Amino acid sequence: MTQPFPFLLLPHAWASRNRVRRREKGDALRGIVFGTIGLLVAAALFYGAYWVTSQLAAYEEFGDYLLRLGLSWLFLSFLAFLAFSGVVTALSTFFLSDDLRLLMASPVSARRLFLARFARTVGSASWMVIIFMAPVLFGVGVGRCAPYAFYAAMIATIIPFSIIPVALGSACTLFVVNVFPARRARDLLMLMGLVFAAGVVLLLRFIQPERLLRVESLPDITDFFATLQSPITPMLPSFWAGETLFAAVQGGFDWLHQSALWTTAGAFTIMLGAAHGRWHFQGYSRSQEAPKTRFAHFRTLDFFAAALPLSPVRRQLLVKDIKIFLRDVSQWVQLLPLLALVLLYLYNFRVLDLDRIPYMSGFIKNVYAFINLGMAGFVMATVAVRFVFPAVSAEGAAFWIIRTSPISMHDFLWSKFWTALLPVFLFTEALTIAANQLLGVDPFLKVVAAASIFFLTFALVGLASGLGARYPRFNADATQAAGSYGGVMFMIAAVALIIVTIVLVGWPSSMYLMSHTGQFRFRLTPERQAMIVASFTAAGAICMATWWLSMKSGVRALDEMRK
Amino acid sequence: MIAVQDLVKEYGRFRAVDGVTLDVKPGEIHGFLGPNGAGKTTTMRMIAGLLKPTAGRILVDNHDLETEPEAAKRALGFIPDRPFIYDKLTAGEFLTFHAGLYGFGNGNVPERVREMLDLFELSQWEHQLIESFSHGMKQRLVMSSAFLHRPRAVAVDEPMVGLDPRGARLIKDVFRKMSERGVAILMSTHTLEVAQEMCHRVSIIQKGRIIAHGTVDDVKQMAGGSSDEHLTSVFLKLTGGSALQEIDEI
Repeated sequence: MTQPFPFLLLPHAWASRNRVRRREKGDALRGIVFGTIGLLVAAALFYGAYWVTSQLAAYEEFGDYLLRLGLSWLFLSFLAFLAFSGVVTALSTFFLSDDLRLLMASPVSARRLFLARFARTVGSASWMVIIFMAPVLFGVGVGRCAPYAFYAAMIATIIPFSIIPVALGSACTLFVVNVFPARRARDLLMLMGLVFAAGVVLLLRFIQPERLLRVESLPDITDFFATLQSPITPMLPSFWAGETLFAAVQGGFDWLHQSALWTTAGAFTIMLGAAHGRWHFQGYSRSQEAPKTRFAHFRTLDFFAAALPLSPVRRQLLVKDIKIFLRDVSQWVQLLPLLALVLLYLYNFRVLDLDRIPYMSGFIKNVYAFINLGMAGFVMATVAVRFVFPAVSAEGAAFWIIRTSPISMHDFLWSKFWTALLPVFLFTEALTIAANQLLGVDPFLKVVAAASIFFLTFALVGLASGLGARYPRFNADATQAAGSYGGVMFMIAAVALIIVTIVLVGWPSSMYLMSHTGQFRFRLTPERQAMIVASFTAAGAICMATWWLSMKSGVRALDEMRK
Repeated sequence: MIAVQDLVKEYGRFRAVDGVTLDVKPGEIHGFLGPNGAGKTTTMRMIAGLLKPTAGRILVDNHDLETEPEAAKRALGFIPDRPFIYDKLTAGEFLTFHAGLYGFGNGNVPERVREMLDLFELSQWEHQLIESFSHGMKQRLVMSSAFLHRPRAVAVDEPMVGLDPRGARLIKDVFRKMSERGVAILMSTHTLEVAQEMCHRVSIIQKGRIIAHGTVDDVKQMAGGSSDEHLTSVFLKLTGGSALQEIDEI
């Protein structure tokens, strides 16, 4: 007798169960770190939603209007994410997953295979959204003292709401895989998705929500809400989901929109199933082909590398790392959202109108210089965790080539470090200098910030290289490696280091500025001067020690890998 | 050229390799045979410097792998059983990278790369990404990298897996040529026909211990067989798999 389609999901479920049962070194610590972070994030989301909802309750009709709008926008933002996630997940579950060879060769009907893979695609693409959305919606429910039916409606809304965009994303993948070779299709889908995500971020920013803060431009608020409402048409599932939950939070039930969600999800599933019956095998077959793909040879890079005063080993490691990075679209494409965030960051400083506070503007500008330093440090940590931390893991199964060659792990890791240092330094230093220039901060602080970034770059790139060598994930892609236990440990250590550095640099800088502006009648006594020097020296020493010790620890971990 | 002395590898309480001693002379092709799980790959990985022995000593070209790892590795070429290489490099770039790892300057690298690609019949693929290669092509590329730096010794794990008959013959020819030039080759294999045809001496490992070694004829005599008996029968007698052969003969 043929088993129903959930049978095909069993290997995945068993594998997950076995992973949970298998105890590995560091599992307890990993559980505590991730559990605590997860709980803190969930608690913050819950409290934020609860606080906003409770505040809105005080404004009656206007509060209701804003809550309704907020719910629709919450679902709208997740709608785009789910569609993109559906595109990427479907490519793996329907076309590239290794177990497909077994399943496609076995006598499983196309319909059962589709249902099993689609269920897995929806689950994989939406679990993160559900984890983020649940505490927010619980916060709204508690903030409005909603009846229990609201929480049931929440589940009944999130399920069809997840199915619809994921089905659309899967259909997009099915189309692209049938038109382009699988490897090109993967790159193309990645690029499309991330350009879309970066576009959404920029669009949201250019709506200019800071207009709300200008008391003198209150009439603009109506325009602002008109802008917010325009994309929320009654044709979008995010609108239906928002309306359903808005009715539920008030104790009602919106049959029309709830039905619209379920019928659309059902219809999309049936249509996607039919399309798969017609085109999946054709696309899967194409994905097995290995055509000669076009790619860039980067001969100029070879030319420039040959001119660098490096040993043949270092030169070849550098050229290899750069070429692999540039040829793998899934690697460099992640720079696009980062670039979008940087543009937003600089744009924010450009529109920041501090001169509206005449007596404090100089002081606030200088405070912002340290906020800017913290932000630049955080951007650097993000870049490091995504691009530097996975550098050792990126060797993957080919790491045997390095390990059997006559180069020491010391040379290998230091080569990774120097390769990463320059681009990270140039990027973050340019960001800091540009932001401070746009803000118009004191020249002394410009120098302090630039010097701090120099030291922080050594510390954070060293920390990322060292921890990346200590906790490598050779079977994972770069994103998974960045999100692993080691990646999280890096982020925690990096944030702590940034805070310590800002404190050690900010305190003496403020003393210096106070003595020079004369606003606070503050004099720099010899003792204070000594303390300033000691504080700056301590900041530099902590950064250098972090750099040196991290690299040393990373090299030792690589050497111990033979055991 | 490759000298392994009393090599031991333990994983917790399990002893995967138990006092293995081998000596591969210059110009010798030495077959390393054994059933699955006998400790062949673990031994090969220790010789390549991928695993640290629990006890024992490995010398490559008289360089101790523990005390002079870089000199020992420079003298050795290693070919693993599965050819994992950088998919996003071209064949030419991979070999250039490999040359750099072994300290070659830029001067004669392009000629040497082309020479190896010619030898392993990969010239027309020099500028193609490795991700579009078949398993056999990747295997040949890894082999070309192992010989690129003119090693004094080569350790090769299952060289014939995934090769078509033409590729297999090519590899046999290359190994013979290299052996004639004085390169010591330690070859772990399941393909007993290849061992019988190519190896000057063989060692058979079972449960981590060497149970027989010598020329193929020596090993046959050791098992109580005649010199025209096939190595497969001898192997099965020595490793306790003769029941399988009986099934085969029914």
